[in-house]
Amino acid sequence: MSYYFTILSPTDTPIFNIAFGTSKGGGDGIARFRFPDTAQYMNQFIIHSSLDIVEEAQWTNGGMYLKHVDTYPPAAAYISAFLTPSGARFLLLHQPPQLPSSGSTSTLGASSLLGAAGSTTRASSSSVAANPTSPQTEEAVRQFMNEVYESYVKTAMSPFYKQGMEIRSPVFRSKITAAGKKWL
Amino acid sequence: MAAPPRHVSMLSISNSNTGAPQSASSDKPQTPQPSPSPQPTSGLRVPSNRKTIYDRHLNRSRNAELSRASFAYLFAEMVTYAQRRVTGIQDLEKRLNEQGYPLGLRLLDLLFYRSTSTSSSALSSSSTSSSPPNRPLRILPLLHLIHGPLWRLLFQRSADALEHSVSPDTPNEYMITDNDPLVNTYISVPREMNMLNCAAFIAGIIEGVCDGCGFEAKVSAHNQPTEMWPSRTVFLLRFGDSVMEREKVLERNGVK
Amino acid sequence: MSATKASRIGEETRIDKVNAELVTLTYGTIVAQLCQDYDNDYQEVNKQLEKMGYNIGMRLIEDFLAKSGVGRCANFRETADMIAKVGFKIFLNVAPTVTNWASDNNQFSLIFEDNPLADFVELPDDGRAQDELWFSNILCGVLRGALEMVNFASPFPVQMQIEAHFVSDVLRGDDTTEMRVSLVRYIEDEMPPEEE
Repeated sequence: MSYYFTILSPTDTPIFNIAFGTSKGGGDGIARFRFPDTAQYMNQFIIHSSLDIVEEAQWTNGGMYLKHVDTYPPAAAYISAFLTPSGARFLLLHQPPQLPSSGSTSTLGASSLLGAAGSTTRASSSSVAANPTSPQTEEAVRQFMNEVYESYVKTAMSPFYKQGMEIRSPVFRSKITAAGKKWL
Repeated sequence: MAAPPRHVSMLSISNSNTGAPQSASSDKPQTPQPSPSPQPTSGLRVPSNRKTIYDRHLNRSRNAELSRASFAYLFAEMVTYAQRRVTGIQDLEKRLNEQGYPLGLRLLDLLFYRSTSTSSSALSSSSTSSSPPNRPLRILPLLHLIHGPLWRLLFQRSADALEHSVSPDTPNEYMITDNDPLVNTYISVPREMNMLNCAAFIAGIIEGVCDGCGFEAKVSAHNQPTEMWPSRTVFLLRFGDSVMEREKVLERNGVK
Repeated sequence: MSATKASRIGEETRIDKVNAELVTLTYGTIVAQLCQDYDNDYQEVNKQLEKMGYNIGMRLIEDFLAKSGVGRCANFRETADMIAKVGFKIFLNVAPTVTNWASDNNQFSLIFEDNPLADFVELPDDGRAQDELWFSNILCGVLRGALEMVNFASPFPVQMQIEAHFVSDVLRGDDTTEMRVSLVRYIEDEMPPEEE
């Protein structure tokens, strides 16, 4: 599974982005999007095109975690959303790995150090995280979002942080990376 | 289908370091360079124990108290300083309001964080519910959030009254009353400023909370003394048209 | 008066309280506002904060003496203990450590383990703030104002002119937050000096 996580300000400005891959089922935490050359652009495009749906859900569901809100079939991309009460949106794009085919194992060859090399790909595709809409995944994403929220609140509490400012702290980034590793 | 204008911002995304695999392992990403001016790339220095704001628990000061006098002196300095930079009472109140506004946004996040992270919710009076609180979607829950949890966080008690305008001309007006606002208790306003209500700062906090939740509003503080409560203050909340329209739609759809 | 006695006064003095976070957040907006108004001229912000503190200190001292009921201080060492264990305890609910005395007993340091003013704070990542801004500089002014403005009717023997400045701050990435306090002179039978 590959993830692209972004935080948008209330006025839709991206203030934080990060890409990572699953660390579950022997995953190495590295994102492998299906269209590596255009992944950056595509991911942001997909996320932004889900905003209308997010906005609609925002006023029907009072929860902060809105779960899976949108799917973009051409890229097999799923979007989950979390809304802070102060109007920031956390959006997580997940893209399951392509079905095992010849070649996909070779990119994971390095993970043979972890043991059963041959089973790595299969393990990750059958793990809970591989199904973006399963209850287990929803729960894992919720935990991830809650942890991000905690770090986000800490950022926002500083008197020098103004709403909509890009979050550049390397510590913040490492916290998000750690949360991704832990839950996704 | 053309993308609506609000989506245009995606084209100007500058932090582009995240598309490639290297970001997953690097904890010191290259800071994006939005301008050619020299930018530090490594962020802030941290003490050798590496403690940062991210390592401090958000509930650490939850029940901490400080001298009321310290607050009063600080607040009075804030007002005095603001006064030097404005030309009249309205200006001054506007400035105090603007200083309160970002606090409202912060307190909102803090309140919700605390009620998601602990079993005894800061947002509800019952401590049994462990499910996360809801973002207010309608005006009434928003007002209750301000009147109760926000006031308790700030002043350790709820506000004294919550009312809706009875005039048919102003259905968008609501009032929250504090009989004895902390910010007025210790602050002696200069005589030439006797119309000033320092609670404009609190009005700004309320405005921040409303705006943060997506309820565009103008909030002002008004002296409404009674014999018993000489510094009684009414906070007048005026919600914008878009809020009132959405309110109607949500009501029709049965959203509470 | 001994240091332990000072601690006890600091612990026992009853005062009205407010939520500490209200104080923290309010102070944060003051500093952020100054930075904005002075276009991130941090030297100027430090100066303004010190001035604000001075105004606070001179008003706060009477309140402080009335509430704590402290007796007279025999020397600067006792004054230091009282500042740390009574003054800061009452007004900021912290008791910084008094240390690093100069050999002439006219200079010491206050080390702050905790500083509620700086809770939640991260300085701007602009490559300058960590070198130039003393976020809690208001405290230097509070001390200066308080010691200079002691009322003649107070139990204090004399007024003092002091100078205080921060030499390190964890917000800047230092390992401690340390304020250096120096006695400049005792002021006897004079009117308090005018500020500016």
